[in-house]
Amino acid sequence: MDNAESIVKFEHISVQFPSVLANDDVSLEIKKGEVFALVGENGAGKSTLMKVLYGMNEPVAGKVYIKGELITKYNPSEAIRLGVGMVHQHFMLVPSFTVAENIVMCKEPMKNGIFFDEKGACEIVENLVREYGLKVSPKDRIDRISVGLQQRVEILKTLYRGADILILDEPTAVLTPQETDELFDVIRRIVREKQMTVIIITHKLYEVMAISDRVGVMRRGKLVGVEQTKNVNERILASMMVGREVLLPKLERKKTSGEELINIKSLTVLDNRSLEAVKNLSLSVHAGEIVGIAGIEGNGQSELVEAITGLRQYKSGSITICGKDIKGMTPGKIRDIGVSHIPEDRMTTGVSLSASIEDNLISGKHKAEEFAVKGIHMKRKPIREYAKRLFEEFDIRSSSVEISAGSLSGGNMQKVVLAREISFENPVIIISQPTRGVDIGAMEFIHKLIIDERNKGCAILLVSADLDELFALSDRIVTIYEGRITGEFVNGEIDKSDIGYYMTNASKIDE
Amino acid sequence: MGEIFNVALLQNTLRTATPIVLAALGGLFTQHAGIMNIGMDGMILTGAFFAVLGSYFFASAAMGVLLAVLVGILIGLFFGVFVIRFKSDEFIIGVALNIFAGGLTVFLLRTIFGVKGAFSNPGIHPIPAINIPVIGSIPILGELLNNNTVFVYVSWILVAVTYLFIYKTPWGIRLRASGEAPHSLESAGVNPNLYKYLASILCGIFCGFAGAHLSLGYLTMFTEGMSASRGYIAFACVIFGMSNPPKVFLAALLFGFLDALGLRLQSLGVPSSLTSIIPYLMTIIMMVYVVIHKNKKELNI
Amino acid sequence: MKNKKIDWGYFLSLFISVFAALLVGAIIMLITGHDPISAYGETIKGAFGSPRVIGNTLAKSVTLCMTGIATAIGAYAGIFNVGGEGQLYLGGMASAIIGYTCYGLSPVIAIPLAFIAAMAAGAFYAYIPAVLKVKFKVDEVIVTVMMNSIAIYLCSYLANGPLKTSEKGIASGTPAIDPNFRFPSIIPNSSLTTTIFIAAVITILVWYLMRKTSQGFEMKITGQNSRFAFFSGMKSDKSAIWAMIISGAMCGIVGLFEVYATQGRFKPDLSNEFYFDGMLVAMIMRYNPIGIVFMSLFFGAMKVGASAMELNSGVSSELILVIQSIIIFFMAAERGITSTIKSRIAVKKQRMQLNAKLKEEA
Repeated sequence: MDNAESIVKFEHISVQFPSVLANDDVSLEIKKGEVFALVGENGAGKSTLMKVLYGMNEPVAGKVYIKGELITKYNPSEAIRLGVGMVHQHFMLVPSFTVAENIVMCKEPMKNGIFFDEKGACEIVENLVREYGLKVSPKDRIDRISVGLQQRVEILKTLYRGADILILDEPTAVLTPQETDELFDVIRRIVREKQMTVIIITHKLYEVMAISDRVGVMRRGKLVGVEQTKNVNERILASMMVGREVLLPKLERKKTSGEELINIKSLTVLDNRSLEAVKNLSLSVHAGEIVGIAGIEGNGQSELVEAITGLRQYKSGSITICGKDIKGMTPGKIRDIGVSHIPEDRMTTGVSLSASIEDNLISGKHKAEEFAVKGIHMKRKPIREYAKRLFEEFDIRSSSVEISAGSLSGGNMQKVVLAREISFENPVIIISQPTRGVDIGAMEFIHKLIIDERNKGCAILLVSADLDELFALSDRIVTIYEGRITGEFVNGEIDKSDIGYYMTNASKIDE
Repeated sequence: MGEIFNVALLQNTLRTATPIVLAALGGLFTQHAGIMNIGMDGMILTGAFFAVLGSYFFASAAMGVLLAVLVGILIGLFFGVFVIRFKSDEFIIGVALNIFAGGLTVFLLRTIFGVKGAFSNPGIHPIPAINIPVIGSIPILGELLNNNTVFVYVSWILVAVTYLFIYKTPWGIRLRASGEAPHSLESAGVNPNLYKYLASILCGIFCGFAGAHLSLGYLTMFTEGMSASRGYIAFACVIFGMSNPPKVFLAALLFGFLDALGLRLQSLGVPSSLTSIIPYLMTIIMMVYVVIHKNKKELNI
Repeated sequence: MKNKKIDWGYFLSLFISVFAALLVGAIIMLITGHDPISAYGETIKGAFGSPRVIGNTLAKSVTLCMTGIATAIGAYAGIFNVGGEGQLYLGGMASAIIGYTCYGLSPVIAIPLAFIAAMAAGAFYAYIPAVLKVKFKVDEVIVTVMMNSIAIYLCSYLANGPLKTSEKGIASGTPAIDPNFRFPSIIPNSSLTTTIFIAAVITILVWYLMRKTSQGFEMKITGQNSRFAFFSGMKSDKSAIWAMIISGAMCGIVGLFEVYATQGRFKPDLSNEFYFDGMLVAMIMRYNPIGIVFMSLFFGAMKVGASAMELNSGVSSELILVIQSIIIFFMAAERGITSTIKSRIAVKKQRMQLNAKLKEEA
């Protein structure tokens, strides 16, 4: 393998986005027939680099060679012509179309010169299925099949277009462990039998160890190292990724224990399709503790949080917060009884992008006497001063409090949300994905804030897809699978690899 | 009752439905391409004006239709540039387009023909009615289906053509993808905006047809604001018919029927200002029905 | 995007758009064989040439400003009220009914009554689409457009039928209102009446509501992101509905103005798409109330000047409508155009910097 010929070559690639240099002078060679893993933190520039290869990003400097050919025009059709296929993190499928239609789209079989050949398309798909062993049924609609199958459709799409270099961007983020294993089998098979080259982008280090031949590590737009996988281990990779030995500093926590502030009993919540997303779930959180919810995304976490914060009505069971039953309450009423909420989707729920930062900071307390005389006439000056104070307190970096929140970076926008929610000084805080899409510096700051609130005696419910984060912050960790609680642990009594079992195994329920 | 329900009523239904059918088929393209097109009213109005202009100056109905189509292409392109290229607000551009069309046609009416309000002249060549003896010989049905203007038949053919195009050709498939999941096209190396432009232009052409039918088939004259919110009604039909050509066609026929019913009631002495309300009221009911029906369905999955 | 500071880029775009639209107007005039300079000259003279026409210009501006602000407050809370024309008609009809049924009553009682009737009619008519939008997510644009037609036909039916005056020589319309109720004119022979003061007070009140109160704040946040507003504990549905009620009430008052200041009775041609003119103004000024006041003056002058232009230089006054909508097109595309230009410049700059850096290193 070491001497295999190079199939893709990046030379001094730099990619400029409006506010950041997303790739900074990256040079890398991918060899024919290998599985290459590209790892790095969020925003390290992995996807950016691979989108250069797929022609979706144009570098401001540097050269790309695919199979020896210098790329001059950056667009996907050029990449497809040279045999590159990419499965994006967010699938590029048309939900209402059939599997077959999605696979052949833009390279459709025809009949009578002008019509789409539906039967032909199905045959093509069946042939692909036979050839590569990726089972799908061509006539199913995409929005009716599982995410794992959708991913297969994406892979088949690239194969149909003749790809022999396959890029997979965070392919396992949405998969169950079984599906992940199946995917890895497929990758091994196509590399072995079809001599394909696979590049897999991930931030899960155990996957790197499991599947790859070589691994490249990116940090802040730069490629900081390329190694043979067999020569490294997860610890080494982790320290390369963050640029130092320790991932997260141990945060000092005071011993506190208080009364029960959140009590959930046999809660059932429906999702948008009226299916039960949360089933018969019971949970309690006390003052001065952080309870972390661990689970693969889409297992009812979002619906649970929405039910607690009033954004979604629940079907049965009860939620009691600070001794009050919240059934039928609006988010405003629940706020009033003492709940702050840092939502998972800050862009659509956490802020108003077009409102100024100061308006975002006072939303929810805009009727307080401090800002509005008799709750009516708003006073600009105290609002501005208040906003400026929060700016310093929460280290929000922006030229002014008057510009729109939409112009902030992810980390600063999240700090705006935290600043507003924490300054309510509510006894209960519900936090979802606090550091998603946030840079490392801001992440540390946010973690410290959360621990501080805990030490002050808040009851905190934390939902995160990031296990490291849960282990760093939680006092107790609860695992959730298909809307049910499958395990409950005191932090420190279980390790990361064991918890994965509870996040995926439903047999533990109802015992 | 017999005075209201007769063959003439059905014949009128076809006549009054046709402009809405044509426009709605156009609106169906933009709807599939993910563009909320409320500018159809303006497109119809300009189509109607230029059809009269072409017919009058070239002394030929065909030239009138041709001119209406050419202008339709231009307007579709114009609409597309703003909505697709500049990503302007679809509402604002749509509403502005309607106001623009209202102003432009009246301005041109005065400047070119020197009249206010309406222009009718024996020099305008109407679109002829077609006599198909085979159809004409069928009892009752023959009376209904024969001797309509060309566009009545054209609109039926277009329903089928549109259906085939949207669902059975690769371009139709991509056009739908451009609205539902534009990234799917992008990642396949195809620019989704090309298909959005195509939809916009097709909509312009179909609205051109609708306008031409209105001023050269339905009537033989142009009057200020003669589209009379038909573009909005057509939009409602697109929503009601869930962008599916045959269903949209049926929705438009329903409007035609109500319109024709209004005309019948008028002849029985009901004030025209009351009967004119029917289609507009029906549109609102339709819009509400669609949404409530959809909400119910979502809950029952 | 700035909150309180003046956005000069926006003003520049506005200026360029207006100028470009006037230029397009001039080109159209040249093509149709008219002299644009003299035509625009006539427009200015027709709008400001004498106290009487200045009065007319101001009167027109009052209508534009009221309808513009009515559009703005709906849009502010996220609902695009295209139905102002219908609300205006109903308001006019309701106030006219009060005006002739209270014939002989003291104006002190009758006029407030007329205001209440007009506002209630307009507000009710705006409330329907607002509720449909907020509760059922029914598209408000289509519904309000349809409601315009319904209101206009309905009023036309009433004015030609059950409520038709028995006076001779009036083809259609309700009986005349008590002349004592009519607003006195300020400049003789012009259409400027004391309504301008009422309009000014209403405008200031609505501006204050929108910009200075927590209720206005809630409307703004609702309009920008209703989910965030709900999440923040605001009653976003209520905000949106109230905005529409105010919008409809304002349109009703414009209808009242037409009856009590201009016509003296309800006639089926009460308004000549007055609401749409105001809506254009509001759209151009991106729903900024102060901006709407100034732009109303400009468009008021254009409208009034246009009839003089038509009379004296033969250019059809509808050209003004064309010019106005061209300004809208430019302004609606402005963000797209400027952002394209800006990002192009930015990428170019960065590329140059990067190349320079690379050269240095080499």
